Amino acid sequence: MIKIAKNRVSVWAVIGAVLFMIGQVVTNLYLPNLTSDLVNDGVAKGDVSYIWSVGGKMLLVSLLAVIFAFGNVLLAARTSQTLGKNLRRDIYQKVLNMSDDEFDQVGTSSLITRTTNDVIQIQNVAMVALRMMIMAPITLIGASFMAYQKDAQLTSIFIVVIPIIVVFIGIIMYFAVPLFKAMQTKTDKLNLVFREGLTGVRVIRAFVRDNFEQNRFDGVNRDYTNNARKVFSIMAAMFPVMTLVMSGTNIAITWFGGHLIANQAMPIGNMIAFMTYAMQILMSFMMLAMVFVFIPRAQASADRIQKVFDLKTRILEPKDPKKFSTDEPAQLDFDDVVFRYHGAEKPALIDVHAHMKAGQTLAIIGGTGSGKSTLINLIPRFYDVEQGAVRVNGLNVESVSKHDLQDQIALVPQKAVLFKGSLRDNLLYGNAQATDDELWHALEIAQAADFIRESDGLDTFVEQGGDNFSGGQKQRLAIARALVKKASVYIFDDSFSALDFKTDALLRQALRQDKTVNQAIIVIVGQRVSTVADADQIIVLEDGKMVGLGTHQELKENNEVYREIVDSQIKEGSASNE
Amino acid sequence: MSEQNNRSNSHPARPMGGHGPGGGMALPGEKAKNFWGTVGRLFNYMAKYRIALVIVMIFAVGSQILQVQTPKILGKATTELFKGVMSGTAMQKAGIAMKEYPIDFTKIESIIMTVIMMYVASALLNFIMQFMMTRISQETVYRLRREMKAKMKTLPINYYDTHSNGDIMSRAINDMDNIAGTLQQSLTQLIQSTVMFIGTLWMMLTISWQLTLVAIATIPLSLVVVGVVAPRSQRFFAAQQKSLGLLNNQIEENYAGHIINRSFNHETQAISEFNEENERLYAASWKAQMISGLIMPLMTFINNLGYVFVGVLGGIQVANGSMSLGDVQAFLQYTQQFSQPITQLANLTNTIQATVASAERVFEVLDEDDMTDDQVDLPDVAASKDILTMAHVKFGYQGKDLLMTDYNLAVKPGQMIAIVGPTGAGKTTIINLLERFYDVAGGSIRLKGVDTRNMKREDLRRHFAMVLQDTWLFTGTIYDNLKYGREDATHDEIIAAAKAAHVDEFVRQLPDGYDTVLNEEASNISQGQRQLLTIARAFVADPEILILDEATSSVDTRTELHIQHAMGRLLKGRTSFVVAHRLSTIRDADNILVMNHGSIVETGNHDQLMAKQGFYADLYNSQFTGNVEI
Repeated sequence: MIKIAKNRVSVWAVIGAVLFMIGQVVTNLYLPNLTSDLVNDGVAKGDVSYIWSVGGKMLLVSLLAVIFAFGNVLLAARTSQTLGKNLRRDIYQKVLNMSDDEFDQVGTSSLITRTTNDVIQIQNVAMVALRMMIMAPITLIGASFMAYQKDAQLTSIFIVVIPIIVVFIGIIMYFAVPLFKAMQTKTDKLNLVFREGLTGVRVIRAFVRDNFEQNRFDGVNRDYTNNARKVFSIMAAMFPVMTLVMSGTNIAITWFGGHLIANQAMPIGNMIAFMTYAMQILMSFMMLAMVFVFIPRAQASADRIQKVFDLKTRILEPKDPKKFSTDEPAQLDFDDVVFRYHGAEKPALIDVHAHMKAGQTLAIIGGTGSGKSTLINLIPRFYDVEQGAVRVNGLNVESVSKHDLQDQIALVPQKAVLFKGSLRDNLLYGNAQATDDELWHALEIAQAADFIRESDGLDTFVEQGGDNFSGGQKQRLAIARALVKKASVYIFDDSFSALDFKTDALLRQALRQDKTVNQAIIVIVGQRVSTVADADQIIVLEDGKMVGLGTHQELKENNEVYREIVDSQIKEGSASNE
Repeated sequence: MSEQNNRSNSHPARPMGGHGPGGGMALPGEKAKNFWGTVGRLFNYMAKYRIALVIVMIFAVGSQILQVQTPKILGKATTELFKGVMSGTAMQKAGIAMKEYPIDFTKIESIIMTVIMMYVASALLNFIMQFMMTRISQETVYRLRREMKAKMKTLPINYYDTHSNGDIMSRAINDMDNIAGTLQQSLTQLIQSTVMFIGTLWMMLTISWQLTLVAIATIPLSLVVVGVVAPRSQRFFAAQQKSLGLLNNQIEENYAGHIINRSFNHETQAISEFNEENERLYAASWKAQMISGLIMPLMTFINNLGYVFVGVLGGIQVANGSMSLGDVQAFLQYTQQFSQPITQLANLTNTIQATVASAERVFEVLDEDDMTDDQVDLPDVAASKDILTMAHVKFGYQGKDLLMTDYNLAVKPGQMIAIVGPTGAGKTTIINLLERFYDVAGGSIRLKGVDTRNMKREDLRRHFAMVLQDTWLFTGTIYDNLKYGREDATHDEIIAAAKAAHVDEFVRQLPDGYDTVLNEEASNISQGQRQLLTIARAFVADPEILILDEATSSVDTRTELHIQHAMGRLLKGRTSFVVAHRLSTIRDADNILVMNHGSIVETGNHDQLMAKQGFYADLYNSQFTGNVEI
């Protein structure tokens, strides 16, 4: 945890917070001392002017306490929130620059939790640490010392009381902590079943299984409720017992203190002060107990964050990057590419080769897991090859800077991702200089102009994740976004599967007729034969092996795998004449 | 502790997460529309526990009264001690030597015994009260959740189509949590704080009205802190929440779209946008933390002010002999705890308001209109050969234009009806009408001559089974998911269905076979296998009429073949409506519904439609653009 905080918070601020806290504690401890003076030397002796002077001192000390507290809170708040801010910034930066490899290692949703919840956790603990966590021990030491000074004999009461508290908290924790943990799982279960009821409402009703769902929910609901009842029943004992222990301590002090006073071993004011110290000692013990609950949770968060920082990227920038020349015609080459996912036993791609020139279309077809997406991920260098090379415009993708490489490539991923904001902002993503005409042109090609015109045009608002569009619409907008970017290679990763035949065909036709795209290379990953059929070259993949390369006609005639795919899709009557 | 008040802010990132009772500092702006009405309704839910609630309240008051009195009684012990010391010193001054001060320990002993008893009684009452309240609150919320779930059964599909799942979930989970937390803790706290406030004031008055005035003089100061500082911190907390929400959105979006981010060279801009929001969050959050952190020391200071004045004035009175030391000591204790109920009550008003707002949102769902079951006065057509007819059907979604104005269709048993059209043509509308997720606005849909509105929805739906592209399966075993098709299906029927749908083969390869539990993300079986399971489920249902979506996405060739094969078997001998994606299906269909922009634009078989040279012919021909003969 300290490792994570290092360099992200100012050491001086931390020291300052500690000093202020010491000041706050000292003043707090001094107050009972003054009270006992007030009683011993003022009240008992009837010295009114002395009472007034001690009263004045007490006011002054209280004021000091507030000032110290203010200083501490200010520094604690700023330091803890700065830590959170810097952590968040660093993780975000790290994650955005991560390669897919590292992304896969942790997983998107886990990365999100690490950047959000885990950071908040750390930030809260930092706040608590700079206040309670340092306050408790300082108070404990100070109050013990003061109490000891007031009366050494009475301190033996703590030898009895403190173990009682520790044991009691221990018992409660022993029973409550597992139940609290179980509660989290049961909460998730509750959420899950309820959410399934929402997402599956049509299926549930179609199969008339509402009652089944009702019972299923009732099961988890009951389970949760019983657990909650147990947990909170245990916790119900906590507060009364704690109060009882504290009150018991006061009574013990009165009783034993009384005898000491009777024996003239202690002035009466000391007893009153002692009670105050006793309360402070017990309170700080409880604070410490709470702190111990916090620490393991924060430690877990810190570990998760540290893991993100520790990820080393395997995609390195070249030492001496080459530059693309501006007027070179587009070109794309796969030179006997072999690729293996990190730590995988068997290569994901073996001996893939293809050479494409400006204006040509390369299609890649094959079943799930055959390596289609893997292959195109090599072009923007999301992964590095093991053998062979991928060249864009004649240059090995590993020899140019990542930034320059991305400039040559426009990608439409399998799952269309849009960002919250206006449609215009989304389209300008890859080319901030594009004019509205260019944007409309891209929308036309992508067959998206119609439905965009029907809504608010380029100002159409895009919800988070593009949720206000259907799957097919999102996909077309993602295509338009890629077209706005002027690139040498346009990659469509299974981008047409969400479109119907007609739109798919119209879109590909329009693509071919566009002047810019005509100068570039199109790479299409497809499932449907009709989508890939008119490509200049088709790569047929099976289990990572390139089992065919050629045009539709060539492959249809002499490629077994390709023919199988064709047959599966268009064989007449295959569906109904079984 | 102010830290505890901020607890609810520790997990704002997960709208579905935050759990456990203990309402935190409520955000402003969450005001209930009908406060007392909602409160009354909430209490109605607890009516079953009426007696228990009364006991809880009596115990809460009782334990607090006992608690409040103890300092004064314990003070008497101090007074006794003091008396002994004073007379002792006086005697010493008079020259009488003594080993011990003449303190009346028997009296002190009886005082202490009383106090111990009071403490124990108070703790016991407190525990019993909490224990009972736990039961009451958890059971009440259990019932609320149950009712909410039951409501989900009777709401029309229209409700689901017009409300986001996130919204419903947040009511079912977060709002319920708020209610549980408040019932569990805040209610008794409210009673106890009030009793404590009144009790403390009363006890102070019985000791000395002059000192009470001094103590009360600090109340306005406390109110200033509670009334001025606290709302300010809440404002910053609100700003913090807002920034945090925006930031979390950015994180989610950009992590999910990191490929786009990178391939469009957008990282730098994304990071600078993020930093901007991050700075805003920081600016709000440190202020929120600081101000809320300050409330505690400020209250302590105000308390100390009162403490010092009470100490000084009390001291003077003791010196004058007009008050006993024990009384002053007790009074000092009262002064110390005086601000506690004030702060607590201030916090409680926020929590309670937020909770009532939550309850209101829950009740809003419970008050939604249920599906209507209006029968129509249309006679059954007895001698119909058609299994399903649509006559003069008029339909449109609420508040939108009509999609069908006068649609007619007759389906004979065993016929296959294909539904085709471009992406987003509204093919689900047909499903909505057939399954009666929506009712027609005019005309009539008849199943075997009976208007579907004159049948119970359940009975109608038993004639149908659906296989959709969205492969919804629930978190449970594969076996239970198959059985979902028909409750009374036998084991053999289920296995037979699994075999027919090519499910049996892969299920047997799983380590737990049919007992494999499908997890939420369904990461343990592939998308294609899920699709096969939905087909098997429909087999189990063994319906007369089948609704099927042919689309299969992200499925490998082999599985694709299996799916086709399974679908083929399923269709055999059944009347079917197929959202068609394959040419063969379309060509073989007895009737084709061609859809565009939500309405049916053409109907007929393949040859008829081709001859028409209309929308369908256009759609069909477009597949062969690119001049490649497949």
